[in-house]
Amino acid sequence: MWVGRAKVPGMKLAVEAEGLVKQYQGRSGTVDAVRGVDLSVEAGEVFGFLGPNGAGKSTTIKMLTTLMSITAGTARVADLDVTAEPQAVRRRIGVALQEAGLDARQTGRELLILQARLFGASKHDARARATELLELVDLVEAGDRRIKGYSGGMKRRLDLASALVHEPDVLFLDEPTTGLDPASRLTVWDEVRRINELGTTVFLTTQYLEEADQLCDRIAIIDDGLIVREGTPRRLKEDLRERHGLDAEPTLDDVFLDATGRTRERAAGEVQEVTV
Amino acid sequence: MTALQQANVLGGRALRDSLRTPEAIVPTLFIPMFFLVVNFGQAGRIFTSDSTGFLFGQSYAAFTLPSSLLLAASFGTAALFLIEDIEGGYFDKLRAAPVARTSLVFGWLLAEAVKSAVITVALVLLSLPFGISIASGPLGLVLLIALTAAWAVVFAGFMQLIALKTRSAAATNSGGLIFFPLLFLTPNFVPRDLLTRPMEIAATFNPVTYVMEALRSLILRDFEWVAVSRGFAVVAVLGVVMLVLNVRLIRRYD
Repeated sequence: MWVGRAKVPGMKLAVEAEGLVKQYQGRSGTVDAVRGVDLSVEAGEVFGFLGPNGAGKSTTIKMLTTLMSITAGTARVADLDVTAEPQAVRRRIGVALQEAGLDARQTGRELLILQARLFGASKHDARARATELLELVDLVEAGDRRIKGYSGGMKRRLDLASALVHEPDVLFLDEPTTGLDPASRLTVWDEVRRINELGTTVFLTTQYLEEADQLCDRIAIIDDGLIVREGTPRRLKEDLRERHGLDAEPTLDDVFLDATGRTRERAAGEVQEVTV
Repeated sequence: MTALQQANVLGGRALRDSLRTPEAIVPTLFIPMFFLVVNFGQAGRIFTSDSTGFLFGQSYAAFTLPSSLLLAASFGTAALFLIEDIEGGYFDKLRAAPVARTSLVFGWLLAEAVKSAVITVALVLLSLPFGISIASGPLGLVLLIALTAAWAVVFAGFMQLIALKTRSAAATNSGGLIFFPLLFLTPNFVPRDLLTRPMEIAATFNPVTYVMEALRSLILRDFEWVAVSRGFAVVAVLGVVMLVLNVRLIRRYD
Protein backbone atom coordinates (compact mmCIF):
# COMPACT_ATOMS: atom_id res chain seq x y z
CA MET A 1 0.00 0.00 0.00
CA TRP A 2 1.35 3.37 -1.03
CA VAL A 3 1.94 5.88 1.72
CA GLY A 4 2.52 9.44 0.57
CA ARG A 5 5.59 9.74 2.70
CA ALA A 6 6.71 9.14 6.24
CA LYS A 7 6.19 11.80 8.88
CA VAL A 8 9.20 13.89 9.73
CA PRO A 9 10.80 12.20 12.73
CA GLY A 10 11.46 14.46 15.69
CA MET A 11 9.75 17.47 14.16
CA LYS A 12 8.97 19.87 17.01
CA LEU A 13 7.75 22.94 15.22
CA ALA A 14 5.38 22.32 12.36
CA VAL A 15 5.24 26.00 11.42
CA GLU A 16 7.71 28.70 12.29
CA ALA A 17 7.54 32.24 10.94
CA GLU A 18 9.61 35.26 11.79
CA GLY A 19 8.85 38.79 10.67
CA LEU A 20 6.68 37.59 7.82
CA VAL A 21 5.80 40.50 5.53
CA LYS A 22 3.73 40.67 2.38
CA GLN A 23 3.51 43.81 0.33
CA TYR A 24 2.00 44.19 -3.09
CA GLN A 25 1.39 47.00 -5.49
CA GLY A 26 -2.19 48.16 -5.52
CA ARG A 27 -3.68 50.91 -7.68
CA SER A 28 -3.18 53.42 -4.90
CA GLY A 29 0.38 52.36 -4.09
CA THR A 30 2.01 49.74 -1.90
CA VAL A 31 -0.36 47.68 0.21
CA ASP A 32 0.91 46.06 3.40
CA ALA A 33 -1.17 42.91 3.64
CA VAL A 34 0.96 41.30 6.36
CA ARG A 35 3.27 43.53 8.39
CA GLY A 36 5.57 41.27 10.38
CA VAL A 37 4.01 38.08 11.65
CA ASP A 38 5.81 35.78 14.07
CA LEU A 39 4.30 32.34 14.58
CA SER A 40 5.29 29.03 16.02
CA VAL A 41 3.05 26.00 15.84
CA GLU A 42 4.09 22.82 17.56
CA ALA A 43 3.86 19.47 15.84
CA GLY A 44 0.57 17.75 16.63
CA GLU A 45 -1.34 20.93 17.51
CA VAL A 46 -4.57 22.23 16.09
CA PHE A 47 -3.70 25.89 15.67
CA GLY A 48 -6.37 28.47 14.97
CA PHE A 49 -5.57 31.63 13.06
CA LEU A 50 -8.32 34.18 13.56
CA GLY A 51 -8.97 37.67 12.35
CA PRO A 52 -11.52 39.92 10.72
CA ASN A 53 -11.96 40.05 6.94
CA GLY A 54 -8.90 41.50 5.28
CA ALA A 55 -6.72 41.11 8.37
CA GLY A 56 -4.12 39.01 6.55
CA LYS A 57 -5.18 35.44 7.39
CA SER A 58 -5.42 34.12 3.84
CA THR A 59 -2.30 35.99 2.74
CA THR A 60 -0.33 34.45 5.60
CA ILE A 61 -1.61 30.96 4.82
CA LYS A 62 -0.78 31.44 1.12
CA MET A 63 2.80 32.43 2.01
CA LEU A 64 3.17 29.42 4.30
CA THR A 65 1.88 27.06 1.62
CA THR A 66 4.21 28.39 -1.12
CA LEU A 67 1.33 29.89 -3.06
CA MET A 68 2.49 33.43 -2.55
CA SER A 69 5.96 34.92 -2.45
CA ILE A 70 7.28 36.32 0.84
CA THR A 71 8.29 39.99 0.73
CA ALA A 72 10.38 39.83 3.93
CA GLY A 73 10.95 37.54 6.87
CA THR A 74 11.33 33.78 6.97
CA ALA A 75 8.99 30.84 7.20
CA ARG A 76 9.67 27.16 7.88
CA VAL A 77 7.06 24.46 7.51
CA ALA A 78 7.73 20.85 8.51
CA ASP A 79 11.35 21.84 9.16
CA LEU A 80 11.80 23.16 5.63
CA ASP A 81 12.41 26.68 4.40
CA VAL A 82 9.38 27.75 2.39
CA THR A 83 11.30 30.01 0.03
CA ALA A 84 14.36 27.82 -0.48
CA GLU A 85 12.64 24.43 -0.74
CA PRO A 86 9.11 25.00 -2.00
CA GLN A 87 8.73 21.61 -3.73
CA ALA A 88 9.86 19.74 -0.60
CA VAL A 89 7.40 21.77 1.48
CA ARG A 90 4.57 20.91 -0.96
CA ARG A 91 5.28 17.21 -0.42
CA ARG A 92 4.70 17.59 3.32
CA ILE A 93 1.67 19.82 3.45
CA GLY A 94 -1.98 19.45 2.60
CA VAL A 95 -3.94 22.51 1.58
CA ALA A 96 -7.66 23.23 1.49
CA LEU A 97 -8.24 26.87 0.70
CA GLN A 98 -11.22 29.14 1.27
CA GLU A 99 -12.93 28.22 -1.99
CA ALA A 100 -13.11 24.44 -2.22
CA GLY A 101 -10.53 24.01 -4.98
CA LEU A 102 -12.16 21.32 -7.08
CA ASP A 103 -12.66 20.56 -10.74
CA ALA A 104 -16.44 20.30 -11.03
CA ARG A 105 -16.31 18.25 -14.25
CA GLN A 106 -14.50 15.36 -12.57
CA THR A 107 -16.03 12.81 -10.25
CA GLY A 108 -14.91 12.79 -6.63
CA ARG A 109 -13.00 9.57 -7.23
CA GLU A 110 -11.24 10.90 -10.34
CA LEU A 111 -10.18 14.01 -8.49
CA LEU A 112 -8.66 12.02 -5.63
CA ILE A 113 -6.92 9.61 -7.99
CA LEU A 114 -5.41 12.52 -9.91
CA GLN A 115 -4.24 14.17 -6.71
CA ALA A 116 -2.64 10.93 -5.48
CA ARG A 117 -0.94 10.42 -8.85
CA LEU A 118 0.54 13.93 -8.67
CA PHE A 119 2.01 13.00 -5.30
CA GLY A 120 3.69 9.98 -6.87
CA ALA A 121 1.26 7.10 -6.34
CA SER A 122 0.95 4.40 -8.99
CA LYS A 123 -2.43 4.02 -10.72
CA HIS A 124 -3.32 1.04 -8.54
CA ASP A 125 -2.30 2.73 -5.29
CA ALA A 126 -4.01 5.97 -6.27
CA ARG A 127 -7.28 4.08 -6.80
CA ALA A 128 -6.94 2.34 -3.44
CA ARG A 129 -6.16 5.61 -1.67
CA ALA A 130 -9.13 7.34 -3.31
CA THR A 131 -11.47 4.60 -2.05
CA GLU A 132 -9.99 4.89 1.43
CA LEU A 133 -10.45 8.66 1.49
CA LEU A 134 -13.99 8.53 0.12
CA GLU A 135 -14.82 6.22 3.02
CA LEU A 136 -13.08 8.57 5.46
CA VAL A 137 -15.17 11.57 4.41
CA ASP A 138 -18.34 9.55 3.89
CA LEU A 139 -18.60 10.11 0.14
CA VAL A 140 -18.48 6.52 -1.10
CA GLU A 141 -21.93 6.66 -2.69
CA ALA A 142 -21.29 10.01 -4.35
CA GLY A 143 -17.73 9.14 -5.36
CA ASP A 144 -18.54 8.32 -8.97
CA ARG A 145 -20.79 11.31 -9.53
CA ARG A 146 -19.53 14.55 -11.02
CA ILE A 147 -18.56 17.12 -8.42
CA LYS A 148 -20.80 19.80 -9.93
CA GLY A 149 -23.76 17.95 -8.40
CA TYR A 150 -22.29 17.94 -4.88
CA SER A 151 -23.67 20.07 -2.06
CA GLY A 152 -21.45 22.66 -0.36
CA GLY A 153 -20.74 20.29 2.53
CA MET A 154 -19.82 17.43 0.22
CA LYS A 155 -17.45 19.68 -1.71
CA ARG A 156 -15.76 20.76 1.51
CA ARG A 157 -15.31 17.17 2.62
CA LEU A 158 -13.93 16.16 -0.74
CA ASP A 159 -11.56 19.12 -0.67
CA LEU A 160 -10.42 18.00 2.75
CA ALA A 161 -9.90 14.46 1.47
CA SER A 162 -7.86 15.71 -1.49
CA ALA A 163 -5.59 17.56 0.92
CA LEU A 164 -4.95 14.26 2.73
CA VAL A 165 -4.00 11.94 -0.15
CA HIS A 166 -0.32 11.89 0.78
CA GLU A 167 -0.79 11.89 4.56
CA PRO A 168 0.70 15.34 5.10
CA ASP A 169 2.61 16.43 8.20
CA VAL A 170 0.84 19.76 8.28
CA LEU A 171 -2.67 20.43 7.05
CA PHE A 172 -3.62 24.02 6.21
CA LEU A 173 -7.33 24.75 6.20
CA ASP A 174 -8.47 28.20 5.19
CA GLU A 175 -11.97 28.81 6.57
CA PRO A 176 -12.99 25.18 6.12
CA THR A 177 -16.59 25.64 7.28
CA THR A 178 -17.50 29.01 5.83
CA GLY A 179 -20.89 28.79 4.17
CA LEU A 180 -21.75 25.35 5.55
CA ASP A 181 -24.93 24.44 7.38
CA PRO A 182 -24.54 23.47 11.07
CA ALA A 183 -24.67 19.72 10.38
CA SER A 184 -21.99 19.90 7.70
CA ARG A 185 -19.89 22.09 9.97
CA LEU A 186 -20.01 19.48 12.72
CA THR A 187 -18.99 16.80 10.24
CA VAL A 188 -15.96 18.83 9.18
CA TRP A 189 -15.05 19.38 12.85
CA ASP A 190 -15.14 15.65 13.42
CA GLU A 191 -12.89 15.10 10.41
CA VAL A 192 -10.41 17.69 11.64
CA ARG A 193 -10.27 16.04 15.07
CA ARG A 194 -9.82 12.62 13.52
CA ILE A 195 -7.03 13.83 11.22
CA ASN A 196 -5.29 15.49 14.14
CA GLU A 197 -5.55 12.33 16.24
CA LEU A 198 -3.66 10.52 13.48
CA GLY A 199 -0.74 12.86 14.07
CA THR A 200 -1.25 15.61 11.53
CA THR A 201 -0.71 19.18 12.66
CA VAL A 202 -3.67 21.35 11.67
CA PHE A 203 -3.33 25.05 10.93
CA LEU A 204 -6.75 26.52 10.34
CA THR A 205 -8.15 29.95 9.78
CA THR A 206 -11.70 30.68 10.73
CA GLN A 207 -14.08 33.51 11.39
CA TYR A 208 -16.19 31.33 13.66
CA LEU A 209 -14.94 31.74 17.18
CA GLU A 210 -16.97 28.83 18.45
CA GLU A 211 -15.11 26.68 15.94
CA ALA A 212 -11.78 27.87 17.24
CA ASP A 213 -12.92 27.28 20.82
CA GLN A 214 -14.04 23.73 20.02
CA LEU A 215 -11.14 22.65 17.87
CA CYS A 216 -7.99 24.57 18.62
CA ASP A 217 -5.28 23.90 21.18
CA ARG A 218 -3.91 27.39 20.62
CA ILE A 219 -4.98 30.40 18.63
CA ALA A 220 -3.49 33.58 17.29
CA ILE A 221 -5.52 36.64 16.33
CA ILE A 222 -4.31 38.77 13.46
CA ASP A 223 -5.54 42.27 12.80
CA ASP A 224 -4.35 44.70 10.17
CA GLY A 225 -1.47 42.39 9.26
CA LEU A 226 -0.15 41.96 12.80
CA ILE A 227 -0.63 39.32 15.50
CA VAL A 228 -2.47 40.95 18.37
CA ARG A 229 -3.15 37.94 20.62
CA GLU A 230 -1.72 34.47 20.94
CA GLY A 231 -2.33 31.65 23.43
CA THR A 232 -4.76 28.91 24.42
CA PRO A 233 -8.46 29.86 24.23
CA ARG A 234 -8.75 29.31 27.99
CA ARG A 235 -5.80 31.49 28.90
CA LEU A 236 -6.86 34.26 26.54
CA LYS A 237 -10.29 34.34 28.19
CA GLU A 238 -8.79 34.31 31.70
CA ASP A 239 -6.43 37.08 30.72
CA LEU A 240 -9.33 39.22 29.50
CA ARG A 241 -11.30 38.59 32.68
CA GLU A 242 -8.34 39.54 34.85
CA ARG A 243 -7.51 42.66 32.87
CA HIS A 244 -11.08 43.95 32.88
CA GLY A 245 -12.08 42.58 36.28
CA LEU A 246 -15.09 40.76 34.82
CA ASP A 247 -17.34 38.66 37.02
CA ALA A 248 -18.46 36.24 34.32
CA GLU A 249 -16.24 34.12 32.15
CA PRO A 250 -15.77 35.98 28.85
CA THR A 251 -16.27 34.17 25.57
CA LEU A 252 -13.78 33.94 22.75
CA ASP A 253 -15.97 36.51 21.00
CA ASP A 254 -15.14 38.95 23.79
CA VAL A 255 -11.45 38.18 23.38
CA PHE A 256 -11.71 38.71 19.64
CA LEU A 257 -13.57 42.01 19.99
CA ASP A 258 -11.15 43.17 22.62
CA ALA A 259 -8.22 42.38 20.35
CA THR A 260 -9.62 43.75 17.12
CA GLY A 261 -12.55 46.02 17.96
CA ARG A 262 -12.99 49.30 19.74
CA THR A 263 -13.73 48.04 23.18
CA ARG A 264 -10.37 49.09 24.41
CA GLU A 265 -7.46 51.05 23.14
CA ARG A 266 -5.17 48.81 21.25
CA ALA A 267 -1.66 49.68 20.39
CA ALA A 268 -0.89 48.70 16.81
CA GLY A 269 1.48 45.81 16.68
CA GLU A 270 1.14 44.99 20.35
CA VAL A 271 1.41 41.27 20.94
CA GLN A 272 0.37 39.72 24.20
CA GLU A 273 1.85 36.28 24.53
CA VAL A 274 -0.20 34.27 26.98
CA THR A 275 1.27 31.03 28.19
CA VAL A 276 -0.39 28.22 30.08
CA MET B 1 7.00 11.08 -10.86
CA THR B 2 8.80 12.98 -13.61
CA ALA B 3 7.59 16.29 -15.00
CA LEU B 4 6.64 14.50 -18.22
CA GLN B 5 4.51 11.95 -16.36
CA GLN B 6 2.86 14.74 -14.39
CA ALA B 7 2.11 16.61 -17.61
CA ASN B 8 0.65 13.40 -19.01
CA VAL B 9 -1.59 12.90 -15.98
CA LEU B 10 -2.74 16.52 -16.10
CA GLY B 11 -3.21 16.28 -19.87
CA GLY B 12 -5.49 13.26 -19.38
CA ARG B 13 -7.58 15.18 -16.92
CA ALA B 14 -7.74 18.19 -19.27
CA LEU B 15 -8.84 15.98 -22.14
CA ARG B 16 -11.53 14.40 -19.98
CA ASP B 17 -12.77 17.88 -19.05
CA SER B 18 -12.84 18.89 -22.72
CA LEU B 19 -14.80 15.80 -23.75
CA ARG B 20 -17.29 16.50 -20.97
CA THR B 21 -17.89 19.96 -22.40
CA PRO B 22 -19.12 19.19 -25.93
CA GLU B 23 -20.63 22.66 -26.17
CA ALA B 24 -17.05 23.99 -26.26
CA ILE B 25 -16.03 21.56 -29.03
CA VAL B 26 -18.97 21.97 -31.43
CA PRO B 27 -18.13 25.59 -32.43
CA THR B 28 -14.53 24.61 -33.17
CA LEU B 29 -15.89 22.24 -35.80
CA PHE B 30 -18.92 24.16 -37.02
CA ILE B 31 -17.46 27.65 -37.53
CA PRO B 32 -14.39 26.56 -39.57
CA MET B 33 -16.65 24.33 -41.68
CA PHE B 34 -19.00 27.25 -42.18
CA PHE B 35 -16.11 29.42 -43.43
CA LEU B 36 -14.99 26.66 -45.80
CA VAL B 37 -18.48 26.37 -47.30
CA VAL B 38 -18.93 30.14 -47.56
CA ASN B 39 -15.49 30.78 -49.08
CA PHE B 40 -15.91 27.97 -51.57
CA GLY B 41 -19.47 29.08 -52.38
CA GLN B 42 -18.38 32.65 -53.04
CA ALA B 43 -15.20 32.06 -55.03
CA GLY B 44 -15.46 28.47 -56.26
CA ARG B 45 -16.73 29.53 -59.69
CA ILE B 46 -14.13 32.26 -60.10
CA PHE B 47 -11.24 29.96 -59.27
CA THR B 48 -12.02 26.74 -61.11
CA SER B 49 -9.64 23.81 -61.07
CA ASP B 50 -9.14 23.69 -64.82
CA SER B 51 -8.36 27.37 -65.24
CA THR B 52 -6.55 28.24 -62.01
CA GLY B 53 -2.90 27.23 -61.86
CA PHE B 54 -2.47 27.68 -58.10
CA LEU B 55 -5.10 25.01 -57.42
CA PHE B 56 -2.96 22.26 -59.00
CA GLY B 57 -6.06 20.52 -60.35
CA GLN B 58 -8.06 20.59 -57.10
CA SER B 59 -11.14 22.61 -56.16
CA TYR B 60 -10.93 26.03 -54.50
CA ALA B 61 -12.09 24.36 -51.28
CA ALA B 62 -8.70 22.62 -51.10
CA PHE B 63 -6.99 26.02 -51.32
CA THR B 64 -9.07 27.52 -48.56
CA LEU B 65 -9.05 24.46 -46.24
CA PRO B 66 -5.87 25.59 -44.38
CA SER B 67 -7.68 28.77 -43.28
CA SER B 68 -10.41 26.64 -41.74
CA LEU B 69 -7.90 24.28 -40.12
CA LEU B 70 -6.02 27.19 -38.58
CA LEU B 71 -9.23 28.80 -37.43
CA ALA B 72 -10.27 25.56 -35.72
CA ALA B 73 -6.87 25.37 -34.05
CA SER B 74 -7.08 28.94 -32.80
CA PHE B 75 -10.00 28.84 -30.40
CA GLY B 76 -7.61 28.43 -27.47
CA THR B 77 -10.25 26.84 -25.26
CA ALA B 78 -7.48 25.47 -23.04
CA ALA B 79 -6.95 28.98 -21.71
CA LEU B 80 -10.62 29.33 -20.87
CA PHE B 81 -10.55 26.06 -18.94
CA LEU B 82 -7.46 27.39 -17.16
CA ILE B 83 -9.38 30.52 -16.19
CA GLU B 84 -12.08 28.29 -14.71
CA ASP B 85 -9.40 26.48 -12.71
CA ILE B 86 -8.03 29.80 -11.48
CA GLU B 87 -11.42 31.26 -10.59
CA GLY B 88 -12.61 28.05 -8.92
CA GLY B 89 -9.46 27.65 -6.82
CA TYR B 90 -8.38 24.35 -8.41
CA PHE B 91 -5.32 25.99 -9.96
CA ASP B 92 -4.08 26.88 -6.47
CA LYS B 93 -4.72 23.29 -5.41
CA LEU B 94 -2.44 22.11 -8.21
CA ARG B 95 0.15 24.79 -7.43
CA ALA B 96 0.23 23.62 -3.82
CA ALA B 97 1.09 20.09 -4.97
CA PRO B 98 4.68 19.09 -5.82
CA VAL B 99 4.02 19.44 -9.53
CA ALA B 100 6.68 20.84 -11.85
CA ARG B 101 5.61 24.27 -13.03
CA THR B 102 6.27 23.20 -16.63
CA SER B 103 3.79 20.34 -16.17
CA LEU B 104 1.13 22.80 -15.03
CA VAL B 105 1.64 24.64 -18.31
CA PHE B 106 1.84 21.51 -20.44
CA GLY B 107 -1.25 19.72 -19.08
CA TRP B 108 -3.81 21.81 -20.91
CA LEU B 109 -1.55 22.26 -23.94
CA LEU B 110 -1.21 18.49 -24.41
CA ALA B 111 -4.97 18.15 -24.33
CA GLU B 112 -5.25 21.00 -26.82
CA ALA B 113 -2.85 19.19 -29.19
CA VAL B 114 -4.84 15.94 -29.03
CA LYS B 115 -8.14 17.76 -29.44
CA SER B 116 -6.82 19.74 -32.39
CA ALA B 117 -5.52 16.58 -34.07
CA VAL B 118 -8.96 14.96 -33.81
CA ILE B 119 -10.74 18.10 -35.07
CA THR B 120 -8.30 18.36 -38.00
CA VAL B 121 -9.05 14.80 -39.04
CA ALA B 122 -12.79 15.50 -38.75
CA LEU B 123 -12.48 18.67 -40.87
CA VAL B 124 -10.47 16.87 -43.55
CA LEU B 125 -13.08 14.12 -43.67
CA LEU B 126 -15.92 16.65 -43.84
CA SER B 127 -14.08 18.41 -46.68
CA LEU B 128 -13.86 15.33 -48.89
CA PRO B 129 -17.26 15.95 -50.55
CA PHE B 130 -15.83 19.26 -51.81
CA GLY B 131 -13.39 17.34 -53.99
CA ILE B 132 -10.41 17.75 -51.67
CA SER B 133 -7.61 15.23 -51.52
CA ILE B 134 -4.27 15.34 -49.74
CA ALA B 135 -1.79 15.40 -52.61
CA SER B 136 1.19 14.57 -50.38
CA GLY B 137 -0.38 11.25 -49.35
CA PRO B 138 -0.66 9.58 -45.93
CA LEU B 139 2.63 11.00 -44.65
CA GLY B 140 1.50 14.43 -45.78
CA LEU B 141 -1.74 13.96 -43.87
CA VAL B 142 0.21 13.08 -40.74
CA LEU B 143 2.33 16.21 -41.17
CA LEU B 144 -0.78 18.28 -41.79
CA ILE B 145 -2.32 17.03 -38.55
CA ALA B 146 0.94 17.51 -36.63
CA LEU B 147 1.46 21.05 -37.87
CA THR B 148 -2.12 22.09 -37.16
CA ALA B 149 -1.95 20.56 -33.67
CA ALA B 150 1.37 22.30 -33.04
CA TRP B 151 -0.18 25.61 -34.06
CA ALA B 152 -3.07 24.91 -31.67
CA VAL B 153 -0.51 24.51 -28.88
CA VAL B 154 1.21 27.78 -29.81
CA PHE B 155 -2.04 29.70 -29.89
CA ALA B 156 -3.36 28.11 -26.69
CA GLY B 157 0.01 29.00 -25.12
CA PHE B 158 -0.52 32.61 -26.14
CA MET B 159 -4.03 32.57 -24.69
CA GLN B 160 -2.73 30.96 -21.49
CA LEU B 161 -0.33 33.89 -21.13
CA ILE B 162 -3.26 36.29 -21.15
CA ALA B 163 -5.15 34.02 -18.75
CA LEU B 164 -2.26 33.82 -16.28
CA LYS B 165 -1.56 37.54 -16.50
CA THR B 166 -5.12 38.87 -16.28
CA ARG B 167 -6.93 35.98 -14.53
CA SER B 168 -9.99 37.22 -16.37
CA ALA B 169 -12.21 35.22 -18.72
CA ALA B 170 -13.32 38.39 -20.51
CA ALA B 171 -9.75 39.55 -21.16
CA THR B 172 -8.69 36.08 -22.30
CA ASN B 173 -11.64 35.83 -24.67
CA SER B 174 -10.88 39.23 -26.13
CA GLY B 175 -7.22 38.32 -26.52
CA GLY B 176 -8.25 35.38 -28.67
CA LEU B 177 -9.80 37.73 -31.19
CA ILE B 178 -6.30 38.80 -32.20
CA PHE B 179 -6.24 35.75 -34.46
CA PHE B 180 -8.80 37.21 -36.85
CA PRO B 181 -6.62 40.07 -38.13
CA LEU B 182 -3.72 37.62 -38.32
CA LEU B 183 -5.83 35.19 -40.36
CA PHE B 184 -6.87 37.86 -42.83
CA LEU B 185 -3.36 39.30 -43.21
CA THR B 186 -2.36 36.08 -44.96
CA PRO B 187 -2.71 34.76 -48.49
CA ASN B 188 -5.92 33.01 -47.45
CA PHE B 189 -7.90 33.80 -50.62
CA VAL B 190 -5.13 33.84 -53.24
CA PRO B 191 -1.39 33.02 -53.21
CA ARG B 192 0.99 35.63 -51.83
CA ASP B 193 2.30 36.73 -55.23
CA LEU B 194 -1.23 37.72 -56.30
CA LEU B 195 -1.82 39.99 -53.29
CA THR B 196 -1.57 43.78 -53.56
CA ARG B 197 1.83 45.06 -52.47
CA PRO B 198 0.80 46.33 -49.02
CA MET B 199 -1.02 43.07 -48.28
CA GLU B 200 1.93 41.06 -49.53
CA ILE B 201 4.26 42.93 -47.18
CA ALA B 202 1.88 42.44 -44.26
CA ALA B 203 1.51 38.74 -45.07
CA THR B 204 5.28 38.30 -45.31
CA PHE B 205 5.70 39.61 -41.76
CA ASN B 206 2.82 37.53 -40.43
CA PRO B 207 3.99 34.15 -39.06
CA VAL B 208 0.56 32.61 -39.74
CA THR B 209 1.32 32.98 -43.47
CA TYR B 210 4.09 30.38 -43.32
CA VAL B 211 2.00 27.88 -41.38
CA MET B 212 -0.84 28.35 -43.87
CA GLU B 213 1.48 27.96 -46.87
CA ALA B 214 2.96 24.79 -45.38
CA LEU B 215 -0.51 23.29 -44.85
CA ARG B 216 -1.56 24.34 -48.33
CA SER B 217 1.50 22.80 -49.95
CA LEU B 218 0.72 19.49 -48.21
CA ILE B 219 -2.85 19.55 -49.52
CA LEU B 220 -2.22 20.78 -53.08
CA ARG B 221 1.18 19.43 -54.01
CA ASP B 222 3.56 16.60 -53.43
CA PHE B 223 6.14 17.37 -50.73
CA GLU B 224 7.43 20.89 -51.07
CA TRP B 225 9.97 20.68 -48.30
CA VAL B 226 10.93 24.34 -48.19
CA ALA B 227 7.37 25.45 -47.47
CA VAL B 228 6.75 22.59 -45.04
CA SER B 229 10.01 23.21 -43.14
CA ARG B 230 9.27 26.91 -42.92
CA GLY B 231 5.88 26.19 -41.39
CA PHE B 232 7.31 23.82 -38.80
CA ALA B 233 10.18 26.22 -38.04
CA VAL B 234 7.76 29.10 -37.35
CA VAL B 235 5.68 26.90 -35.05
CA ALA B 236 8.78 25.58 -33.28
CA VAL B 237 10.16 29.07 -32.60
CA LEU B 238 6.81 30.45 -31.45
CA GLY B 239 6.25 27.30 -29.38
CA VAL B 240 9.52 27.76 -27.51
CA VAL B 241 8.76 31.45 -26.93
CA MET B 242 5.29 30.65 -25.58
CA LEU B 243 6.62 27.87 -23.36
CA VAL B 244 9.37 30.04 -21.87
CA LEU B 245 6.97 32.93 -21.24
CA ASN B 246 4.34 30.62 -19.72
CA VAL B 247 6.82 28.97 -17.36
CA ARG B 248 8.23 32.35 -16.34
CA LEU B 249 4.78 33.68 -15.63
CA ILE B 250 3.65 30.65 -13.68
CA ARG B 251 6.81 30.74 -11.54
CA ARG B 252 6.09 34.36 -10.64
CA TYR B 253 2.40 33.75 -10.16
CA ASP B 254 1.35 35.05 -6.74
